[in-house]
Amino acid sequence: MTHNVDERPALVAKGSGATRFIGTLITVAIAIIVVGGSAWLIHLNEPQPATKVAQAAGTMKTPQGDLPHYTLDLSVYPNANTADCAGGPTLGETIPGPVSGIGQVFAQKCPPFWWDSTSLELPAHSAITITVHQYDGSTPVNSDYFADVHGTIDGKASYNGEAKTGIKPADVAHTFTIHQYPQAGQPYFFVSVPMRAVPSNAKPESGSNYPKAEVIEFTFITGDPGSYIWNCEDPCGNAYQGFGGVMMQRGWMAGTVEVV
Amino acid sequence: MSLTNAPETEQPEEPTNRPAPSYRIREWLSRPYARHFLVLFIIFTVVIMPSAWLVLHFMNQSGAPASAIMSEIEKTIFVFTFVSAPLMAMALAILLYSLLGRDWGGKVHGEEPPMQESPAIRTNGTAVILWITATSLLAGFLVIWGMMELATITANSYGSTAPNQQPKDVKPIDINVTGAQWVWNFQYPDQRGIQSDTLVVPVDTPLYFNVTSVDVIHSFWVVELGIKIDANPGAVTNTGVTPNKLGTFNIRCAELCGMHHAYMQTKIQVVSQAEFENWVRVMGGEKTS
Amino acid sequence: MSVMTTDIHEQTAVPQPKQHGKPGGFLRHTNIFTGVVTGLVLAIITFAIGSKIVPWGNQNVDFDQVGFQALIGITYIAWVIGFMAGIGAFAGPIRWVLGHDLTHADAEYMAGKGQGRFKYWKYTTDHKVVGIQYLIMTLVLFGLGGFLAMLIRTELGITWAEVFTPNFYNSIIGTHGIVMIIAMIIVVAGPLGNFIMPIMIGARDMAFPRLNALSFWLLFAAVPPLVSNLLLGGIRDGWTVYEPLGSQSPVGMIGYQICIIVFAFSTGIASVNLITTAFTMRARGMSWNRVPIFVIGIISAAIMGLVWFPMFQYSQILALSDRMLATSFFNPLMGGSVWLYENLFWLLGHPEVYVVVIPGTAALIELMTVFLRKPLFSYKMAIAGFAGITGISAIVWVHHMYMTGWAPSAGYPFMLSTELISIPFGFLVLVMLGTMWRGKPWTRLPMMCVYAVIWNKIIGVITGVYLSDVPVDQYMHGSMFVVAHFHYMLMGAGLFAAIGAISYWFPKMTGRMLNERIASIGFWVAFFAFQLTFMSMFVAGLQGMPRRVLQFDNAFNISNWLSTIGAYCIGIGMVIFLFAIITSWRNGKPAPANPWGAKTLEWQTSTPVPLENFPVLPVVTSDPYGYGVPDPYDAVEKKMSEADQPVGAGAR
Repeated sequence: MTHNVDERPALVAKGSGATRFIGTLITVAIAIIVVGGSAWLIHLNEPQPATKVAQAAGTMKTPQGDLPHYTLDLSVYPNANTADCAGGPTLGETIPGPVSGIGQVFAQKCPPFWWDSTSLELPAHSAITITVHQYDGSTPVNSDYFADVHGTIDGKASYNGEAKTGIKPADVAHTFTIHQYPQAGQPYFFVSVPMRAVPSNAKPESGSNYPKAEVIEFTFITGDPGSYIWNCEDPCGNAYQGFGGVMMQRGWMAGTVEVV
Repeated sequence: MSLTNAPETEQPEEPTNRPAPSYRIREWLSRPYARHFLVLFIIFTVVIMPSAWLVLHFMNQSGAPASAIMSEIEKTIFVFTFVSAPLMAMALAILLYSLLGRDWGGKVHGEEPPMQESPAIRTNGTAVILWITATSLLAGFLVIWGMMELATITANSYGSTAPNQQPKDVKPIDINVTGAQWVWNFQYPDQRGIQSDTLVVPVDTPLYFNVTSVDVIHSFWVVELGIKIDANPGAVTNTGVTPNKLGTFNIRCAELCGMHHAYMQTKIQVVSQAEFENWVRVMGGEKTS
Repeated sequence: MSVMTTDIHEQTAVPQPKQHGKPGGFLRHTNIFTGVVTGLVLAIITFAIGSKIVPWGNQNVDFDQVGFQALIGITYIAWVIGFMAGIGAFAGPIRWVLGHDLTHADAEYMAGKGQGRFKYWKYTTDHKVVGIQYLIMTLVLFGLGGFLAMLIRTELGITWAEVFTPNFYNSIIGTHGIVMIIAMIIVVAGPLGNFIMPIMIGARDMAFPRLNALSFWLLFAAVPPLVSNLLLGGIRDGWTVYEPLGSQSPVGMIGYQICIIVFAFSTGIASVNLITTAFTMRARGMSWNRVPIFVIGIISAAIMGLVWFPMFQYSQILALSDRMLATSFFNPLMGGSVWLYENLFWLLGHPEVYVVVIPGTAALIELMTVFLRKPLFSYKMAIAGFAGITGISAIVWVHHMYMTGWAPSAGYPFMLSTELISIPFGFLVLVMLGTMWRGKPWTRLPMMCVYAVIWNKIIGVITGVYLSDVPVDQYMHGSMFVVAHFHYMLMGAGLFAAIGAISYWFPKMTGRMLNERIASIGFWVAFFAFQLTFMSMFVAGLQGMPRRVLQFDNAFNISNWLSTIGAYCIGIGMVIFLFAIITSWRNGKPAPANPWGAKTLEWQTSTPVPLENFPVLPVVTSDPYGYGVPDPYDAVEKKMSEADQPVGAGAR
């Protein structure tokens, strides 16, 4: 053997066992604080808009009998009110655009967005009527499936008062598509309604920077309570196939639906 | 020649006095560690094999197997576990024997390098040959079994019959599967092009899927039926299956496709032929004869 | 055994070139801080000038997109160039252009002579310094990757709420993956391949000392772009960053791509260095029959890295070009192919897992002989194993693409090649088990790592057998089963082997003994927690949970809770191990030259290792596995074969 035998090599370092034990504990505690603290801070900094609750509106006769009726109003604007973007707030209103936070940096320039919230709360076992004021121009859908109305109470939605089962794929500006959380315990739920675009030659209304809105109204029935998500299925974002940028952003073109 | 135990004083002309192989085996078995190792080896093999049932238990928790393909997959897992068990058991036995056994001299603790040294075995031809043979046989078995299974479940076979044995008069239901970010939609071209966001299919009827994507790569995974194929933009890929169990099963996306990849999930309902025709009629299509 | 004398070595006088300035020249003034400052300054200047040229504020959405991407990309490249200039990497080429050759004094300065601790902060060519630099870098990368893993498991464990939004979650799983992959590629070949391997073959340094420093500092330059992605929107894709999904990510993705492009250069340079050193700088008498097996493992990994890493680099160059120049390599709408990306990626992706696992396995095989006091079992089979894996790893990559629909018939030949590669892998297992057979283990931490790694390999290999079969892969691809399998191989067999190797060579590298009590506690906590974490993950995968999802069916809740608890315990175990490393490094017991009584050359020189490694270069007369005593059963065999026996007689 060629190792030194003159001195028993000790396996333990200088310092008492108690010091090292406390040192180890402190190191582990610091690690836990760093991880937990970071998770908490990131969680707080990923803002989503305040929850918007549907308003009660009596009862409604549906194929499933008389159900409580609730309504919700949403709008879709073509771009945020920043100095660089065409368009701006209506007189007396400020529409600064949705919240920002982690991951919001370098989202799309001049992005369209849903207003005033993308975190929706709907009551269970009710008929929900959503009215959307849509101000944006068209972007053809990637898949014609989303130019049709799915999942509403009569398979139709009303476009400026006219009930239709779908619109031309070239006329779609955005869609409102609710789909499933991967939870076996919840009822399957799928609603997809295309939002029609404003005509391509539409002029801004007086006193506003936006043209006359397309009004789309549709009704669907909720089942048992559950968590769902919704997003726009029209490629109105940037990058490949228009699904980058705001299409991947809660608070802009995607959100959550809680059925309570 | 004398029969003494003394070493020969002259070299024999041929190696006629080499012990018979059976003697060598018996001599090896006479060593205590050999017997203990074999016992451990057999115990571990027997213990490892039932893990196949455990694996299948977890796979079947949501209603699988619902097709012949899934049953073939489960059979394959079962067989692979059994044939791999001996080699795994051998490694485990040596591991544990080295740590806990006493016949090799036990463990050495402490801060000094150990003084007593182990037998200087640089190689053992028998062990090497046995090992290479065993691993090669195992690898060969796995390959051949795997290739036979693959031929059985390829897209045109819809299940457990090879393509050249398909009955000629069975026409599969064609379904076009389109993955979009982040929704699956299905179209039945033979049923007047009806579209749906869930799959409704009749039991015991072959299905043939034409799968594509309109944006990024998705993966069409019908979990309990055991089929999966990527949905690629710019190409159509195919898979086929024959469901053989009624019920509602899951379709999940198995390739990260963006923000709502986790929510890209839908259902497949396997129903009776009558219910299927009823559904087709309700959706606005017609059954093809 | 090697033969060494204690004569003082007299250097013969070699005519020196003209000494320009002080020894070291420009490198006297450069270090990591000048590098970072220069890099940041150049990046900021480039961004400022570039944003005047590239009108990224205008309304033209298409040009805005491409222009801004190009701007960020060029800014990252400016960081890399600025950093390398500031650390002194360009001093060499400039010196060559000016016609100034290195004098002996220059070379000694660059090797860190007379600089004390500061040499670790500079562009130092001494392989021992580069090895320590790689070790620190590896620990930092593991810390970052581990931190992200804790965040991931927190999200998956809190099943009743969303902790992070899906975008952030997708980004952290991707960043965790690539950071860990980079860390695992360098964890053994970096610190140990650089520090230990030259001493082990009896050389004074590596074949290309300046390239050695370059490879480390290129790695250092590559890491900030990668990590900065989290601040620029994240990569929002898995570590494989499949196109075209990658092109939907915000600009953070460019950081990833630049990192890989630069890291590929670092890896290629390091591989060339390792291979050349092992081939040309072995001590006199160290024929290929006498080379320690660790060196063979390093050579195999270096060859695979050198040949295949350019594929990954190209996939990222083309993806970056799709972003910055609107080309359509991977855009199917414009004639590109998504399968092209997958093929380029996995052509590296498969050999890479061997680059991760082979060095650690080779290190364990090397140290097993020391702790069992037995020669290596069947050295030739070990060589055959490494050679077989290196060769066959080139033809198995499509098994990652069975489900892509790219070439359904390709399943057959690639299933064959995947099963074939298990045979040379089996040779390595044979060597490990054969060395363990009838050996008395000395139960120090490096040896205990061997047991842990063999257990993990058993689980990893059997689950790999399942996945290699196309029909079974049809169920398991894209599920958590795959995630658990590769964690068992890369982390269970890779990282734990690296821990064994580092704790084995810790005395030689740091001059101190590792505090084994604390290190073992950390190691075993991490090991048992690892089993809990990833066994539960296998269950989740079998139940049908896809991978890369942050919300999932209730049926997978229990598996995920158990995995999260296990993951937290792995974190605690690793932190304890890190604490042991750091405190032992700072004030551990000073180590003797050969605490393990090993016979390889690195233990025959003093600790701490002198600058020139050996006062006199050794001459090798045998392989380093001369342990053990004659097998008592051999005497029985001998007697049996020599004794008289009538032909055909039965037992005596």
